[in-house]
Amino acid sequence: MKKRLSLAATSLLSISLLLTACGGNNAGNANNGSANSGNNGAAATDNANSGNAAANAGGGNAAATDSEEKVNLNFWTLFDGGDGANMQTLVDEFNKSHPNIQVKNTKLVWGEYYTKLITAVGNGNGPDVGISHTSRLPDLIDQGVVTDVDDVAEVAGVDWSTYNQNLLNATIVDGKHYAAPIDTHPFIMFYNKKLLKDAGLLGEDGKPVLEQSADGFMKFLETLKAKLPAKVTPFALSNSNDDPYRLWWSLYSQQGGNDIVSDDLKSAAVDKEKGAKAADYIQKLYTGGYIKKNDPDFYKNFQSGTAAIMMTGVWATGTWESTKGLEFGAMPIPKIFDQEATWGDSHTIILPVTKDNDPAKRKAAIIFADWVATNGQIWAKAGHIPSKPSVLENADYKAMPYRSDYASVASTVKFSKPSTKNWQIRDNASFKILNEVWANKLEPTAAMDKLQDGVQKVLNE
Amino acid sequence: MRMSKLRADIQALLYLLPFLVIYILFTIWPMIKGVNMTFYKWTLIRKMKYIGWDNYSRMIHDKDMWAAIGHSVIFVVLTTPTMVILAIVLAMIANRKSRLQRLYRSVFFLPSVLSVAVASFLGLFVFQPYTGLVNSVLHLVNLLPENTEIFWLSETNLSWIAIALITLWWTVGFNFILYLSAMQEIPDEIYEAARLDGANDRQIFFRITFPYLNPITKTITMLQIIASFKVFMQIYIITGGGPLDKTRPIIQLIYQTGFKKNDLGYAATMSYMLFAILLVLSIFQYWLNNRKGANA
Repeated sequence: MKKRLSLAATSLLSISLLLTACGGNNAGNANNGSANSGNNGAAATDNANSGNAAANAGGGNAAATDSEEKVNLNFWTLFDGGDGANMQTLVDEFNKSHPNIQVKNTKLVWGEYYTKLITAVGNGNGPDVGISHTSRLPDLIDQGVVTDVDDVAEVAGVDWSTYNQNLLNATIVDGKHYAAPIDTHPFIMFYNKKLLKDAGLLGEDGKPVLEQSADGFMKFLETLKAKLPAKVTPFALSNSNDDPYRLWWSLYSQQGGNDIVSDDLKSAAVDKEKGAKAADYIQKLYTGGYIKKNDPDFYKNFQSGTAAIMMTGVWATGTWESTKGLEFGAMPIPKIFDQEATWGDSHTIILPVTKDNDPAKRKAAIIFADWVATNGQIWAKAGHIPSKPSVLENADYKAMPYRSDYASVASTVKFSKPSTKNWQIRDNASFKILNEVWANKLEPTAAMDKLQDGVQKVLNE
Repeated sequence: MRMSKLRADIQALLYLLPFLVIYILFTIWPMIKGVNMTFYKWTLIRKMKYIGWDNYSRMIHDKDMWAAIGHSVIFVVLTTPTMVILAIVLAMIANRKSRLQRLYRSVFFLPSVLSVAVASFLGLFVFQPYTGLVNSVLHLVNLLPENTEIFWLSETNLSWIAIALITLWWTVGFNFILYLSAMQEIPDEIYEAARLDGANDRQIFFRITFPYLNPITKTITMLQIIASFKVFMQIYIITGGGPLDKTRPIIQLIYQTGFKKNDLGYAATMSYMLFAILLVLSIFQYWLNNRKGANA
């Protein structure tokens, strides 16, 4: 009897020991969620009365409400580093200029942001305002995390025509606006002026001498390789995941390739011929020795002045600017195939579903979102391209170097279709298969067959 | 007599009650709830849909899951024996009467106090190409020709070696301490007697030290197997499960399924699969220990 009891006890104990590993993550999230919900809850009760009163008073007299009642907004962001500081500046400025709307900025860790957002909203403890990438928006909509903003935008008098339509259109799902885009952060090309000069490839205007074609770009790299010391990498790029994928997507889109998902978002629609051509071109950059094999840190490579060109998102501009002694330039990625196109995504401001969907708060939130977009010159410090063309004319923006060299890209960004599976397709199909191509372990044509199957598998799940 | 026994039991139960309540509430109940989850399509936002045994049949046919379990097994096979043998060797070194005894003890144990992030990043610095310690040293002693690099972290087999070595360096100290304290329990008289009888070092080790360490060896082995099966963080940081998911362990797959793919029901199902494996191993160990009824 005793023995059996102790056996039961030991096995129970070991069971719980074994399970703790899997439970760890959950517990962490739950803790954070409840911590946040505490704040939120307090804020909510503070405002419950005033909010409703404002809503009632509001009615037809919408414009007056924001000068009558004070609204507190809880804002969750995923920015760190320079982005985080710039967003905080924006929030502070907004609070100063809008005494009746106070925004509290809560910075979450980028890697956990979406998980926390979804969980918190599911528990009814989500924020009043949040950030979403355009590519992630459909998934959030599908899960019922995000509300459409057409009603409040109308009340608050948001003029959608002041936005860059390419960016705006990517946030419209089923004819409804779901977010206010504040930027686009496309994939562009950076170059080291000193090294290009050494290789005789820097023009009088400080821009690379480069013929915009498949052969032209290859020749450009060939010259860099031949003329620069062996230690210099002609083209700094990672060997896996994001950045080579972005380049592939850009080159695929430059040929007019369809999205890899069909229009009805139900099946994979890889344009194999164009995809293979793009993959083949990039594979040659690796096998031809223009890109350093398995470069452990291609950002550092470019930053320390040992790489002639590099490609990544515009967010690097801020980093290069603050690097002493780095003479660099920025430009759209070359037009290697038929038309200009590049990879890009946008940060947008969203209104998550809340317990009461308080109209006063929602209105204040969209006013805030629109204000952030209008004051994009602060946000552009990190390198992002502002979402409102009017900001591009702003003196502060114009005074910042580099940005105007690539601002035109905003209209040629090729966004992915509003599939709810965008991020899964990227992580579980595109990255995985293309990485094999870059490692020269898979033929580009075979890779496209695999990609088609992989995307389909994700869509089926 | 009988009455007082019952009373004692009730008394004991009363003392245990607070713990028992918490234990049931926070351990047993979540476990039952977890089993319940496996029958649902269950997302982070708790949109739930009952789907019966679907998650289980999907799991049986899921190549990715079997591959991930395979990877966890590879890791267990790579690390468990080395972790045990190295711990004994280190403990023997540190147990010798020597002026360096204290130094040995701290040096061998020190890496264990590092967090997984620190240990993993050190590993990255050591094994990365071009600038990593290993390749630099190989270049220096001309074992590796100039302009060639060993890509430790991007070739499947090499990355397993790198991950295993980093883990070994980082965690062996714990087993080492267990062995060291067990060795100090062995009475000196036995060694003296053996010496007087003319036993050599090898005989002393295999006839005295090792048999005395038998119970602790069993415990360490079991703990090590379970710990190795639960490997996740260092692989996540060092290779991210790559190249091509070839080093992705089962916990990472569970994490990705639950929190990245937003499919908690299926993630829970796979967790119970892992749980079943560990349970079988634990029972086997329990049976092994109790077979002769002697060892604890």
